[in-house]
Amino acid sequence: MNRLRLWLLAVGGAGLAALLVAACLDLPGFGGRHHPYGDRAVQASLARHTANTISSVNFDQRAYDTLGEMSILFAAVLGCVVLLRQARDEHRAPPEPAEVARPVRRYALLVLPVALVTGLYVVAHGQLSPGGGFQGGVVAATALHLLYLGADYGALERVRPLGVYETSDAVAVCAYLVLGLASVLAGTAFLANTLLPYGTFNTLSSGGAVPLLNAAVGMEVASAVVVLLAHFLDQAVEIEEEHGS
Amino acid sequence: MADALIVVVLLLVAASATAAVAQRDPARQALVLSFLGTLLAALFTVLQAPDVGLSQLAVGSALTPLLIMLCVRKIRRRGRSKEDAR
Amino acid sequence: MNGWILAATVALGGGGAAALWGVTTGPPARRVIAQNLTTSAFCPALLLLAQGYGRPAYVDLALLLALLGPVGTLVFARLLSDDLSAQDASAWGLTWTAAVLGAAAVVALCVAVGPGRAMVKLLVIGVLLIGGNVIASRALAGGFRGVRGG
Repeated sequence: MNRLRLWLLAVGGAGLAALLVAACLDLPGFGGRHHPYGDRAVQASLARHTANTISSVNFDQRAYDTLGEMSILFAAVLGCVVLLRQARDEHRAPPEPAEVARPVRRYALLVLPVALVTGLYVVAHGQLSPGGGFQGGVVAATALHLLYLGADYGALERVRPLGVYETSDAVAVCAYLVLGLASVLAGTAFLANTLLPYGTFNTLSSGGAVPLLNAAVGMEVASAVVVLLAHFLDQAVEIEEEHGS
Repeated sequence: MADALIVVVLLLVAASATAAVAQRDPARQALVLSFLGTLLAALFTVLQAPDVGLSQLAVGSALTPLLIMLCVRKIRRRGRSKEDAR
Repeated sequence: MNGWILAATVALGGGGAAALWGVTTGPPARRVIAQNLTTSAFCPALLLLAQGYGRPAYVDLALLLALLGPVGTLVFARLLSDDLSAQDASAWGLTWTAAVLGAAAVVALCVAVGPGRAMVKLLVIGVLLIGGNVIASRALAGGFRGVRGG
């Protein structure tokens, strides 16, 4: 049976290799200034009044791929939650409250709201400047964990009801899907950016559905990262094995 | 002449990536990886890709070191509690 | 290739090489100080690049690094406090030098940009960078001494 499987793998691999070679021979030349896809992407982005072409490609022209990436993050966090849950032979032992130096504590409490607002700013300006949902979401989630770094884990647990974050993660994924289905209900394709007006170029209200999809992805990424870090922190700080196992 | 900047950053990336692989202890590797992450963000900026650089900064400056160091702490705690129970 | 890009090359090359040497050799104290130096060397470099390339949008990268770089150093200061308790990692000369150079870069850029919203953004980034650098150095020099296993 093993040899049959290896032969099957060899046949599939040979087919894939032939297709890859054929594709590589057809690529445009390396290192020039002219790229056919780049020109078309920038033209389409400007036609839809989106100043940041990368965001236009991510959330408008190839929004379906971004849906796949969001699902990958969701599935990865789901896997981590399952793997890192508290087992039957483990118990929780909260550590004693820590005494951190006062300048560090004050810095953490001052910078936490600044970093949170910066994360939301990066999410909101995704269609204007470098950034977007993913980057801003990660910054917002990391800002929250300044509370753990500057105080201790008990302080973080008080502002982080885990159920709320898990729910908001799922709700954000559904919001992305609903935004895509809205286009289907209106008669065009899934995730087509033709429903909302394109707005004024280089202002906050531009790009059609791109700011909304940015917001959905930002909420999803922030909640997913908080949940992921919560389980890592639980395992590293609180959960202990029973002695004698 | 602007290529000189790209060459400098690429050489630094090569050196620090080799250093990251050559480290044996995970905690020390986390330190080198944090440096490598910031350096990669600078490389992406120099190559005129600020969106990718922003993603790299967001993930590699605080999130990845935090994940690695939490794993190191868990392993050290388990080793220490096994020694105490013996 | 103008003066701003040349200054950015010096900052990236010199600061990067020094930080790489510090992060890969020596006791844990030197390694975490070098990791802290990374933020204070690269953030002014990104600001200079934004001015040199003529792309004000690149300033957001420096803002993020000024915010999240010290957070990364705090991660190591807290979770490596056992390794650092043997020998405090204090390098105040280096910290203040980096702070002065960063402030000089921010002032030069503010002069070049002129009054307006862009200058306010540069000043905010400068304050976050220098404040974060000083607090991270304070955290490395014994800020987490009382923390046990948290």
